[in-house]
Amino acid sequence: MTSMLSRLFQTAFFALALLILGAALPAAAQQPTSVNPTAQSVKEAQLLEALKPGEPISGRASIPNKDAANLIQAGRDWRAYNQETLPRLGMLALLGTFVALVLFYLIRGKIRIDAGSSSQKILRFAAFERFVHWLTATSFIMLAVTGANVTFGKSVLLPVVGPEAFSAWASFAKIIHNYVGFAFMAGVGFTFLIWVKDNIPDRTDIRWFLAGGGLLSKGKHPPAKRFNGGQKIVFWSVVLGGAMMSLSGWHLLFPTVEGMAEAQWHATIHGTIAFIMTALIIAHIYIGSVGMEGAIDAMASGEVDLNWAKEHHSIWVKEEQERKSGSRISGAAQPAE
Amino acid sequence: MARMKFLCDADRCIECNACATACKNEHEVPWGINRRRVVTINDGKPGERSVSMACMHCTDAPCASVCPVSCFYTTADAVVLHSKDLCIGCGYCFYACPFGAPQYPKTGNFGSRGKMDKCTYCSGGPEEDHSQAELDKYGRNRLAEGKLPLCAEMCSTKALLAGDGDIIASIYKERVAKRGYGSGAWGWKVAYKETIAI
Amino acid sequence: MLIKRREGQAARGSLVASLAATGAERLDRRSFLRRSGLAAGGLAAVGSLGLTSVREAKAAMPKPGKPVEIKKNICTHCSVGCTVTAEVQEGVWVGQEPSWDSPINRGTHCAKGASVRELVKGERRLKYPMKLVNGEWQRITWDVAFDEISKKMLDIREKSGPDAMWFLGSAKFSNEGAYLFRKFAAYWGTNNIDHQARICHSTTVAGVANTWGYGAQTNSYNDIRNAKTMIIMGGNPAEAHPVSLQHVLTGKETNRANMIVIDPRMTRTAAHATEYVRMRPGTDIPVIWGMLHHIFKNGWEDKTFIQQRVYGMDMVRKEVEKWTPAEVERVTGIPGAQLEKVAKQFATEKPSTLIWCMGATQKTVGTANVRAFCILLLATGNVGGFGNGANIFRGHCNVQGATDLGLDVTSLPLYYGIDAAAWAHWGRVWETDVSWLKARFDTTKAPDGKELSMMEVPGIPSTRWFDAVSMPKDQVAQRDNVKGLFIMGHGGNTVTRIPEMTKGLEKAEIVVVCDPHPTTFAHISNRKDGTYLLPMSTQFETNGSRTASNRSLQWGEKVVEPIFESANDYWVINKFAEKLGFADKMFKNITMVKGKFGMEPEPESILREINRGGWSTGYCGQSPERLKAHMKNQDKFDLVSLRAPKDAPTEIAGDYYGLPWPCWGTPEYRHPGTHQLYNTNLHVKDGGGTFRARFGVEYDEPQADKTTKKINLLAEGSYSKDSELKDGYPQFTYGMLKKLGWDKDLTEAEKATIEKIGGNTPDGVSWAIDLSGGIQRVALEHGCIPFGNAKARANAWNLPDPIPVHREPIYTPRTDLVAQYPTRPDFKQFRMPNIGFTVQKAAVDKGIAKEFPIILSSGRLVEYEGGGEETRSNPWLAELQQDMFVEINPADAADRGIKDGAWVWVFGPENSSKAKMKAMVTERVGKGVAWMPFHFGGWFQGEDQRAKYPKGADPYVLGESVNALTTYGYDPVTGMQETKCTLCQIRAA
Repeated sequence: MTSMLSRLFQTAFFALALLILGAALPAAAQQPTSVNPTAQSVKEAQLLEALKPGEPISGRASIPNKDAANLIQAGRDWRAYNQETLPRLGMLALLGTFVALVLFYLIRGKIRIDAGSSSQKILRFAAFERFVHWLTATSFIMLAVTGANVTFGKSVLLPVVGPEAFSAWASFAKIIHNYVGFAFMAGVGFTFLIWVKDNIPDRTDIRWFLAGGGLLSKGKHPPAKRFNGGQKIVFWSVVLGGAMMSLSGWHLLFPTVEGMAEAQWHATIHGTIAFIMTALIIAHIYIGSVGMEGAIDAMASGEVDLNWAKEHHSIWVKEEQERKSGSRISGAAQPAE
Repeated sequence: MARMKFLCDADRCIECNACATACKNEHEVPWGINRRRVVTINDGKPGERSVSMACMHCTDAPCASVCPVSCFYTTADAVVLHSKDLCIGCGYCFYACPFGAPQYPKTGNFGSRGKMDKCTYCSGGPEEDHSQAELDKYGRNRLAEGKLPLCAEMCSTKALLAGDGDIIASIYKERVAKRGYGSGAWGWKVAYKETIAI
Repeated sequence: MLIKRREGQAARGSLVASLAATGAERLDRRSFLRRSGLAAGGLAAVGSLGLTSVREAKAAMPKPGKPVEIKKNICTHCSVGCTVTAEVQEGVWVGQEPSWDSPINRGTHCAKGASVRELVKGERRLKYPMKLVNGEWQRITWDVAFDEISKKMLDIREKSGPDAMWFLGSAKFSNEGAYLFRKFAAYWGTNNIDHQARICHSTTVAGVANTWGYGAQTNSYNDIRNAKTMIIMGGNPAEAHPVSLQHVLTGKETNRANMIVIDPRMTRTAAHATEYVRMRPGTDIPVIWGMLHHIFKNGWEDKTFIQQRVYGMDMVRKEVEKWTPAEVERVTGIPGAQLEKVAKQFATEKPSTLIWCMGATQKTVGTANVRAFCILLLATGNVGGFGNGANIFRGHCNVQGATDLGLDVTSLPLYYGIDAAAWAHWGRVWETDVSWLKARFDTTKAPDGKELSMMEVPGIPSTRWFDAVSMPKDQVAQRDNVKGLFIMGHGGNTVTRIPEMTKGLEKAEIVVVCDPHPTTFAHISNRKDGTYLLPMSTQFETNGSRTASNRSLQWGEKVVEPIFESANDYWVINKFAEKLGFADKMFKNITMVKGKFGMEPEPESILREINRGGWSTGYCGQSPERLKAHMKNQDKFDLVSLRAPKDAPTEIAGDYYGLPWPCWGTPEYRHPGTHQLYNTNLHVKDGGGTFRARFGVEYDEPQADKTTKKINLLAEGSYSKDSELKDGYPQFTYGMLKKLGWDKDLTEAEKATIEKIGGNTPDGVSWAIDLSGGIQRVALEHGCIPFGNAKARANAWNLPDPIPVHREPIYTPRTDLVAQYPTRPDFKQFRMPNIGFTVQKAAVDKGIAKEFPIILSSGRLVEYEGGGEETRSNPWLAELQQDMFVEINPADAADRGIKDGAWVWVFGPENSSKAKMKAMVTERVGKGVAWMPFHFGGWFQGEDQRAKYPKGADPYVLGESVNALTTYGYDPVTGMQETKCTLCQIRAA
């Protein structure tokens, strides 16, 4: 009881003290008795010390350009990434893939159709699908070449052709890159729309991967639907990577509405993903052409050898044949594997 | 040879923007391109400081390093210049510049960049000194006439200093010693990897 | 990668050429250091450093291979008087170079000065005469313009009398143009002639002149370098007079001076202060009295100075006693301790100077504010020396000169007034019969029933012209309302109460706007006919002198011919005089020379006429030849003393730069001019002086018992260096010379002139009307100043508040203080009623302060000037400030949900006024205070009026005018408007 009373008393005391202080406060808070702007001036050293990575020292500038208000920002970090890390990463990715593929070819050789060619063909990709593929593919290659020029051109090409010729080419390459970018964006969009339904990962893919995709040894072919696990990886890489490339590229196309920090971020994403994708696409090209007998037909004429199809996409072939014979409606009663 | 630098004494700068309009006047810089600008830190609070900023003509300039076509070069006076003939307007120098110096006219495709424009330290470009081509592309070349950049020459309170780095550093030091305060040589640490010991 | 420039050139095949260039001579060391921004005093410190860097200067070559001419003129913006160095090639102004030789700006400029070249590129200039016909702008010829306008003017004169035309001149005229326009009004027959000084420093002129003689800056920008303490109160020179900060900050640094800024806003100037004091707008007098309270209490006042040179300080003491620290804090918000610190520094760390601008003057108590400032200076002995004084920063490039030359409703040129003696003096100078001039004017009945010529009645000021158009005829004390407006070089959005101004504009029968740009007058109203726009040249397109704030005159040289169809002021004024039928009389003694459109008056000969009549203010010694010699030898003048050494070329040796007035005697007498007014430390022939004996020798001071007591107004024991009269003395007359026996020093010719002027009473001829200059010469030779040696007046008995008293603004948020500190009662002023008291009472009764709780103040931005039409038409400046905005405190913004950069509506308490603009949320303004720049126009009540400008002459940037929101309120002495404290409400748009 006493403790409660004393607590009440204490509370009242503090309230009273606050009240008195509060009454005195407004006048004091409104105006201190001395303000020395010279002594209180901001100092660069303190601001630099307090600066968090990626943040600029910024203030107010009267011109509407938002970036103008940033006084000092860390450009050197990005420069280090752009000039050192990215080219190394790029070289590693490109050369690494190349070396791996050469090794693979030397060890495994060209993957043949085990059962040999049949006389029968099966339609694997319709005309529009092939158009989308080649739209995406050609635009990607053009972008990759013109893009790589930004990273490697001045060390590889410039010393050979001289500054004027190189600038003329680079300028042309920039225009190509900027315009073809839109074709690539369209390609990626269509790719997603037409093939997403066949690229939902499922358990078949796990089995496929566990079997190493059948690539490592002859005569073994894990079952696969329309797209096997490897192809799904390519699909999602193209869709997700392509989306990120498109998004970052879009921002880089319109730099004047962006801040420098954002622009750096977009440039970093753009460059990094570009090399990863390029590496992947090189592998894709290999397996789709010299690496595997019969694969190229899928995107050339659209019709593939039935034996090839049975070996690499057994479930899909079965489904296709059932669908053709009309006994089952594709997808309506797929077993939940 | 001299090592040309800029130094903005923020304890003198009053954000009068003479540097900005002197630059426009001297080089007929179009609307939207701001080779020089003034930024005010802590605007409206006691002790706010304004700093006039343009290309600082950095030591080991990041813009030059990231340029995919190597259009930058450093003159004997350590001024960082670029060739508009070689520039492809890619914007990389803008991403790398710590001071927001590179500017782009909105003439390119999709309203994006044309060839980059920035402070030339009033010393033109790679064309012959005082040629019509130099004037058209980069503006006037004062340095070749023995004059310093007009922004600094016209600075209302002599806050913005231009000239040999050692000399302007000693001017600044002398000022700080005389008056007893100094908010620092803004941008020097980032641009020149050095500060002025006070 | 290219590393060196040389390599870059080598790659392009020009290695040989570039190597050849490096062999050129090197820039000499002095110019290099100067260009590096080093003060002269600092050379030694860098003596050991190598300077082998910069290649030699060849001629500046804007276009390769063509010759370049250098022309020197003066910046046409603020009053600092920066020299502009122009490079001209084939008649085109192609470049601006730093004006290193000018002791005022030493090469530097602000944003405006560094971009003046654009004015004569003039993409948005008014290109030819235009006329509004049925709401459309039509191009006309100059001849049609002269014919139609003069016909209409004569028509108005016929129907309503000469006072029905109202003339507005310009602070951007040259001295010669200003003088000519004042003379024009005199010959037309009206005192209805005014200019920007009305809304700028009219209260300063009245307050300061009534204290110690002349209404001008006592010292100079350069002299501030000598100060140990400076108070900047009601001014933001960092934005309004940027180049002055060069002197202020150098003074602050080298002397480690106290730089105190007292202002409602933490301005860009305050950012560099050593003490910032935030006050409530409109409480200047309590702040000063609060300081004096501490000064008197602690005995910090300068007792000797007060005893010798000040009258009436005891009465000030009595008023100051009321202002205890507690009362000062209650009214102003400034804590006593802070004010005591500031007061102590100002009174004891001398020399101290007080710097002020519109924050003090644009008030209903403007004159009283200024008087209080002067009294603070007097009490601390801070006038009339080096590094002290009233450093009044004036606004426009020639507002000082235009004020001096009488663009004013109460005076003829050079402060002679408008009484019979003044007219007689100018009649003699002009060699025009005063009775002829008198016949040009209307007459009225004086209070005593006698007939009085309107030539002796003050005219209608620029703050009230629209009332004179719109008010019932019987309330305007002249024959008829104002019917026609003739405006040269003056913005329309600079005057308060724009909604009412717009109505006045619509009612006027003719509006003539002579300006390089179509001003607000051209577009803001819904006039359909009868508006004329005449394209005028800038001062860069003509010759003439201008007077900077420090009273120095500088001669500007024509840089280029007037562009497009624009014409200079001299020609236009002359043509109108011709059409109106008095050119022969008016230009009798003025030389005509060939100009762009034919014969035009020569500015040199106009200046000589000014010299012949300008004795009262010492405008008599600055001949065009002397001024031109100064421009030529700018580099010879000292930076701090402004004086040329004795060994300088003889044409300038010993002169102060620009012969700051008063420059006594004839040009041949070679008085050096006056750097610091009233400086007793110098001989009068070296620019020394005393306080002016302007208010008589004795004063009958009313006593408490209703008797009067004779008080000596002459100085006691104080006199200028080596004066032969070792005490106070009255102004010099012929009679006084005789008494002293000094009349024998006059030449026969001088005596003859004096006797001719004096007629029957030659003894009465004073130093101010003696056209021979003899009286001035003799006085100076005896070490005496012609205007006498008197005390300054702390008590100015002829003013409404002889000792300044605090009066709350008409629209005040502190309604609790109104009963104690009310504004002055209603009265008649400048031919019209001033109903401030009624308005204040109504505002309190209606609870306006609750509905409009935020104080609204206004001021300058560095990029723009005045009404801003000129500067907003300059793309180099306009790009830097693209939106009208209001500064609002974060707390007030948060209460209203307003974000930085968002659109807001601001509402004013009169005329249901409203304006749309962007919010700048900033701690620069205190809680409950909003601030706007006053340079915007072209929007009205949220509507963009761009379509109403003549095509191609619309400024790049448009915005709402702050004066669309400002309210009623006029200074009782000068009719100055209230722009610094009214009320408003702000809401998110």
